[in-house]
This record gives sequence, structure tokens and C-alpha cells, in this order.
Amino acid sequence: MRAFWKRPERGRAGFARLVLAAYVLLALAAPAIAPQNPYDPLQIFGWEASSPPGTSSGGGYVYLLGTDGLGRDIISTILYGLRISLVVAVTSTAIAALIGVTIGVSAAYFGRWVDAVLMRIVDLQLSLPTILVALIAIVTLGPGIDRIILAIIIVQWATYARIARGVALSEIGKPYLDAARLLRLPTGRIIFRHILPNSIAPAITLLPIELGHAVALEATLSFLGLGVPIDKPSLGSTVANGFQYLLTGQYWISLFPGLALFGLIASINFVGEDVRRSLDPRSRSHDA
Amino acid sequence: MTSAIVGRLSQALLVLLALSVIGFTGIHSVGNPVYNVVNIETATAEDIRNATIALGLDQPLWWQYCRFMSNVLAGNFGTSYIYHLPAFALVMSKVPATLELATTAMLIAAPCGTLLGLLAGRRQGGWIDRAVLKASVFALSIPSFWLSMVLILLGAVAMGWFPSSGRGPTVLLMGQEWSFTTLDGLRHLALPALTLAIPNVALIARLARAGTAEVENQDFVRFCRAKGLSSRRILFRHTLPNISIPIVTMIGMQFGGMLAFAVVVETIFAWPGIGKLLIDSIQLLDRPVVMATLTFVSVAFIGLNALVDLFYAVLDPRVRLS
Repeated sequence: MRAFWKRPERGRAGFARLVLAAYVLLALAAPAIAPQNPYDPLQIFGWEASSPPGTSSGGGYVYLLGTDGLGRDIISTILYGLRISLVVAVTSTAIAALIGVTIGVSAAYFGRWVDAVLMRIVDLQLSLPTILVALIAIVTLGPGIDRIILAIIIVQWATYARIARGVALSEIGKPYLDAARLLRLPTGRIIFRHILPNSIAPAITLLPIELGHAVALEATLSFLGLGVPIDKPSLGSTVANGFQYLLTGQYWISLFPGLALFGLIASINFVGEDVRRSLDPRSRSHDA
Repeated sequence: MTSAIVGRLSQALLVLLALSVIGFTGIHSVGNPVYNVVNIETATAEDIRNATIALGLDQPLWWQYCRFMSNVLAGNFGTSYIYHLPAFALVMSKVPATLELATTAMLIAAPCGTLLGLLAGRRQGGWIDRAVLKASVFALSIPSFWLSMVLILLGAVAMGWFPSSGRGPTVLLMGQEWSFTTLDGLRHLALPALTLAIPNVALIARLARAGTAEVENQDFVRFCRAKGLSSRRILFRHTLPNISIPIVTMIGMQFGGMLAFAVVVETIFAWPGIGKLLIDSIQLLDRPVVMATLTFVSVAFIGLNALVDLFYAVLDPRVRLS
């Protein structure tokens, strides 16, 4: 994780880091800086629905990016949607990493049939396209923010498990673990206090990249109408709401939230790529 | 070799079986499709009970699964609750549209991606290289649904060059309807195919770039250069064949991925393929069609992956011998 905060060398991905930091700040400060609260019907003026960018509003401010089909200010829906997108992505990525690494390390430690069963499940998952796994998961779980977080965890844990298992296998042969076993430390303590901290580094390099995937996945599911509920839209569902207005030329309803979403994913991916490159000396010369 | 094939195939079969249990349990524990079959306003309690019995929903879940599996083994996925057609035939009737879309997208992506990768990898750190790398991160960051909408906005709404939805006129060829045989059909094909192609151009370009960079430093390329071959000839006649195996692998795997990702693109462009059928069926709780579509996509994807693995073994002597 330290590499993330390390001063960027030669300005590499420095701009992306700045953009990402700005996104996080905007999401945190959304209630303070958004012109209106798009979840509060009292602050929305229905007769100002689908106003083009630059229209001045009855609330005493200007709709800089216009309003959507319900009269909600686009800037405000972007800011509030950003919060939901980020919360869903960060929560699911963090939990998926934790679960995945624990499972991978446990598989390596217990070996035999535990390892075989767990790794077959991992193979099963990784042999399917993510969107398919996500669709099956979300169809099974039903809609809602907690369900979509669960669906993303189901999609992502396997990658961490496979990587952590590989590292843990090489740790298990080392003398310090023999010592821990000879001291008859409890199994849970050996796994969580000794193997896990030593096998977690490669999984951490994955975090930013998987975070980008999580944002995109949540947005896609929400766009398909299988994600977050309509009354609390994320960036993806905001874009989806604007789709029906696109063909009549009311481009701003979906274009600007989509642009915000794209910028978010792109900045995460640039930073993620840089983190991976700077932590993995092999890929420094030829990055695939 | 034979044992490798048998091993790979039995593994794929096991994956499918596990998937069918998970998928079936999940899909059959959500909602009650009876309400989409009967007319809610006029149906009596008895109608609803009869419909439930007719759909077999009064049976316990494990029994429903056993019946489903025995029917599937006989090639029968049941009848669609909504369209009242055999579910598998319904899926099969939508397959050509999706295949057409995915194939067109791959025909755009593979040559473009390979060419960009070759040009970028030839001079590492040069401006083409940096531009391709940057652009590829952007291309992989665009959510496909938003890319579709931007393309609709530019190509259909603003310019009016391409239609924004549907498949256009089709021509009967080899017993199936195809769009690519007519000019208008091609115009309908352009935007959705481009949407599917763009992320794959980026993926293939990155792979080709990494391969090229590696091969270009090897002795035989240096020898070619010393021999005085033009750099274009070295690139296409000597480097390209040496980086082609991973690219072919990637194309095979991504083609399977496209069948799955078509869900999003088909929904937006109202392209009448299996992806749109899947989303519509999920929303209408049309369980037999959902099961049939998921089975088809999974079989196609896993089959393609197994094929690619075997193909890899045939092409690369190092894998074949180990």
C-alpha cells in the first residue's frame, strides 16, 4: 500500500492520482457542495425537468449541466451517485480481498482435500466471464445495494484466493512456520498472524485494478436495471435513466454522468497500472 | 495427447454440472413466474393453482432440478413461459444474430489490435508506444454501455450516419437470417460491432506490443536486420508469426467473452440476439429461457476455452511435449 502514497517518480500517473484524489474529495463533500439534494423531493422542481445545461433554476442557482427527466440537477446526481458508486466498489473490493486471501491461505495451509475443493471452485469461477458470474449472482440474490456488493464479492474473491495460495505455498516450507507449529500455536493464529501477513503483498497490488473492475461492474449491473434501486441512483443508473432521452437529443442527462464515471474508472486504472508496475520488478521492462 | 483431451473435457463437464446446480437453485428461488403467466386482474385462486401445477412449481426444488436435468439430457429445456415456444429452439433462433455481431467485432479488433501492437512494440518508449499504451488504458476504462451511448450520440443522433437500434433487413442464407449481406444491414451492424471491438483492440494491442518488444530483442531479428531486410518485412514476416500464438489464444478467449458481454451491447442497440433475450427473460422470470441461454453461453465459453487450450498444445511444441 505504501507504493500508492509514495511520491510518483517522474510524474508517472501523477495526474491520475490527483484526479482520483479529487473524486474521493468530491464524493466525501457531496452534501456540502452539491446545489441540491437529488433524493429530497422538496428540492426538486418537476416543471424544470430536462432543462438543457445553463438553465437557471427556481432554487436560485444555475443548472450548469442541465437537469434529468425528473428535474434533478445533473451535477448533484453525479456527486451523490459518485458516493454510492465508490462506497459499493470500495466495500466490495475490500471484503473480496479479505475473504479471497483468507481462503487462499487456508487452502495452502490445510492442503489435501480442502485445497483441492477450494481450488476447483476457484477454477470454476475464473473459467467464466465476470459479467456472466455477476448476472447469475445478482439474479439469485435480487436487487439492492447490499446484494450488489455481495455479487461483486462473489465475482472477485477467486482471483485473490488463487494468488494468495501461490504465495502461501512458498511460505509454508519456511523455518519460521515450522517453529510456530512446534510452539503449538493455535491454527487460527498461525494462519492470520504468520502466513497471511507474509502472503498478502501480491494481493494488494491487485486492489486498485479490481477496484476499477468493481466500479465498472456495479455501473453495468445498475445500467441493466439489476443493480442499485432507482431512488438512490449510482453513476451507472444515472446514465441508464438518461438513455431514453438520448435519441431525442437530450444528451446531457446521460453524457455527463457517463463522463464522470469514465474519468473515475480511467484514473483508478492508471494508478492501478502504475502501482502494479512499480511493485513488480519483472514487468518494469516489458509491461503486458 | 488423448488423455490431455479427455482430462480437459471432463474438467469442463464438471464445471458445467456445478454451474447448472448453482444457476438452477438461484434462478428458481427468485420471484414467482406464475404472476407473469396468468392475467393478474382476472385470475381466480384456482387459475393460479392450476398454472402453478402446469408449470411444475408445486414440486420441491430438488425434484424440479432432477426433472430439469433429465429433460436437458434429452435435449429439452422446457417451454418458454412467455413465448410458449421450446426454450432451446428460441435461444438457437437468436444465436446467429449474436454470432454475427461478435464475429464482425473480432474481424475489426484482431487486425487493428495486432497492427497497433506491432507498431508500438517495435520502438519501445517511442511516441507510438506511449500513445498506444495510454489509449489502451482509456479504452479498457470505458464502460461498454456508456461507449454504446456515446457512439449512438455521435453516429446516429448528431451525424445520422448509422441507425441507432435494430438489425435492419436480413437475407436468408444457409437457413439463417443475416444482416451483413445488405448495405443497410451493415450500417445497423457498425455501431454495436464497434462498441464490442474497441476494448478488444486495446487488449490485443497490449498483448501484441509485449510480444513484439520481446521478439524484437532476439538474435534472429538482429540477424535479419544485419542481413539488410526492410523493417516492414522483419515486422510482418518474422516478428508477427512469433507473437501469433498468444494473440490467437486471446482472440479465442475474448470471442467467448464477447458472447457474454453482448448482453449489454445488445440491450442498448436492441439487437435481437441471445444477450437481449437473456435480460428480457430475467426480467420476465421466464426461467426455462434463462436456463437455456445461460447454458448455451457457458457451454460456448467453456468449449471455446478448452479448444483454445488444445489448439495451443498443437501449435506450441513446448506445451505438447510437457
